Amino acid sequence: MPTDPKALAYFAAGIGAGLTIMGGAAGIGRLAAAAMEGIARQPNAAGDIRGAMIVAAGLIEGVTFFSLIVTILLAIK
Amino acid sequence: MMLAPLLLLVALQEPAHQPAPSPATEQHAAPAEHGAAAAEAEHGGGHDPATVMMHHVTDQKPFYGVYSKHLVFLLVPAAFVLLFVRLAISSYKHGGVPTGIAAGVESLVLFVRDDIAETNIGHHDAHKFTSLLCSFFFFILFAALLGLLPFSATSTGNLSVTLALATISFFAQQWAGISKFGFVHHFQNLVPPGLPVWLLPIMIPVEILSMFTKPFALMVRLFANMLAGHMVITALLLLIPLLASITTAFGVAVIPVSIGLALFIMILEVLVAFIQAYIFTLLTAIFIGMYAHPAH
Repeated sequence: MPTDPKALAYFAAGIGAGLTIMGGAAGIGRLAAAAMEGIARQPNAAGDIRGAMIVAAGLIEGVTFFSLIVTILLAIK
Repeated sequence: MMLAPLLLLVALQEPAHQPAPSPATEQHAAPAEHGAAAAEAEHGGGHDPATVMMHHVTDQKPFYGVYSKHLVFLLVPAAFVLLFVRLAISSYKHGGVPTGIAAGVESLVLFVRDDIAETNIGHHDAHKFTSLLCSFFFFILFAALLGLLPFSATSTGNLSVTLALATISFFAQQWAGISKFGFVHHFQNLVPPGLPVWLLPIMIPVEILSMFTKPFALMVRLFANMLAGHMVITALLLLIPLLASITTAFGVAVIPVSIGLALFIMILEVLVAFIQAYIFTLLTAIFIGMYAHPAH
């Protein structure tokens, strides 16, 4: 049983990275699903929908990267 | 597969010029990565694969007599931007129709002006900020694309560089409000009028906080995006020495897989360069528009 704080930090970083990716994937997945549905219903608006989708994906990704950086700091500090 | 990030983190723990694993790493590392680190060390002494490959991700100080590598690759993209724009401008002197580089630069500048600045800041205020937004767009794009070349580095993968960019963005946002409404009125605009008085103690701190979190988010987003792609490529390539330290045949077998995946991420990085330049510019424009057109 590892009681070394460094081992626990690696453990926490691994779990944290997994949870982060789950959250980010769920967010971007829902976003892409909704955008594709929108494009299928309104092919004329494909350009606008794609632009708005990229912005929203960037925002989600940004928040995801916040927590990924926290996990990296946990692992290397 | 799961060991590769660990190996990468071991590599991150060591300063770039340290040949052997540090005593602290040896003491605290779990047995599995201890073995990996030791295998790395005996592989090539001062030139173990992790250290050699990490030159692409981390900063090098000093770098051929210059203060740091990221400083060089901060100035080189800036020089490239100047060069390209000067070339583009000079091609307009002969006639009205742009040719060559100018056609490419013009399409991007028009994109920034029409689709980013004018739609988000508004027609009247956009012309003041178009040059700033173009500078952001081209600098981030060039820095990211030059960072994909061999022996180069992405300076926007350094927190200090993105901090500087975000600070410029912060002052531009505040200046948009202050120059339009005056100093006092700009800060009154932060809170929408007609709000119940008992909400003010909550709203004012929240608005002041959001003033600083916007550029902070810009800073971390750009930094993390630029760093992450390079770290993934490095981790994929480090799979080869990792598996080769078990058996040479494993290492040879994983070479095509590793190179193929790394190449795929490389191509993705070209896309990410454009998307991140677009997102940084677009969000700056949206925030400038927020302060230039407050809720009323």
